Amino acid sequence: MGVRVEAKNGLTVCHVDGEIDINSSPQIKKSFDKLISQKTPKLVINLSKVTYVDSSGLATLVEILKNMKSYGGRMRLACMSSKVKSLFEITKLEKLFEIMVDEESAVATF
Amino acid sequence: MTRSDQLAYLKNSGSGEVEKKDIKFRSESRVIREASSMILDYLKPFGLDESGAFEIKLCVEEAVRNAIVHGNKSDPARQVKLGYWIEDGVVNIEIEDEGSGFKPELVKDPTKDENLTRNSGRGVYLIKKLMDKVEYIGPGNKVRMTKRIK
Repeated sequence: MGVRVEAKNGLTVCHVDGEIDINSSPQIKKSFDKLISQKTPKLVINLSKVTYVDSSGLATLVEILKNMKSYGGRMRLACMSSKVKSLFEITKLEKLFEIMVDEESAVATF
Repeated sequence: MTRSDQLAYLKNSGSGEVEKKDIKFRSESRVIREASSMILDYLKPFGLDESGAFEIKLCVEEAVRNAIVHGNKSDPARQVKLGYWIEDGVVNIEIEDEGSGFKPELVKDPTKDENLTRNSGRGVYLIKKLMDKVEYIGPGNKVRMTKRIK
């Protein structure tokens, strides 16, 4: 599991790869805590290289979203595989998150 | 593997009974992945597709995690029992902990608007949605879930 952060068109894009599960969630949360402490205003999380998410991973993404909203930040998820996206549909978390098909549109329309 | 090979694989030394695998684990987080890997390896010869593998992996890991964390209170001395077998194209998985059980009907629906940001009940909900049938047995410390292999 890894998180790579880049600045793009005045906003922050994070590329996560691997699995977001009970084992990797603490490390992922730590990676995003830094961005949250800096009050990053707009964040796109590119999930194209995420192969698996469990309920701990979903909870971690919810926590990141809640923390960003607490200071008025906004966050988008982009490039989910169909399997990962199906979990957001089943759990209705698609209502909570801004989910974009690709990174380009997520960045361009933010 | 041909169909006849599959049937031969399923039969247990001529007894006519479907072979059931039974394993006991200590309540340690590393066994979550071990359990799902064992079941996916077992199912490999049956042509499990990628989507089915993803769903079974997720449900096994959610159930084992619940058994360790909620059932056995993360006490490594307490065991988690895992049983699995395939019969007539359906995989059966049982996971049992040494806890006092729980009532699944008391788990709040995580998809309701007021619960969307709560982080409890989502694992149980995913299991219910992704498996074909889910039963909680006895006081609720044992779950049996089944899914047809495509």
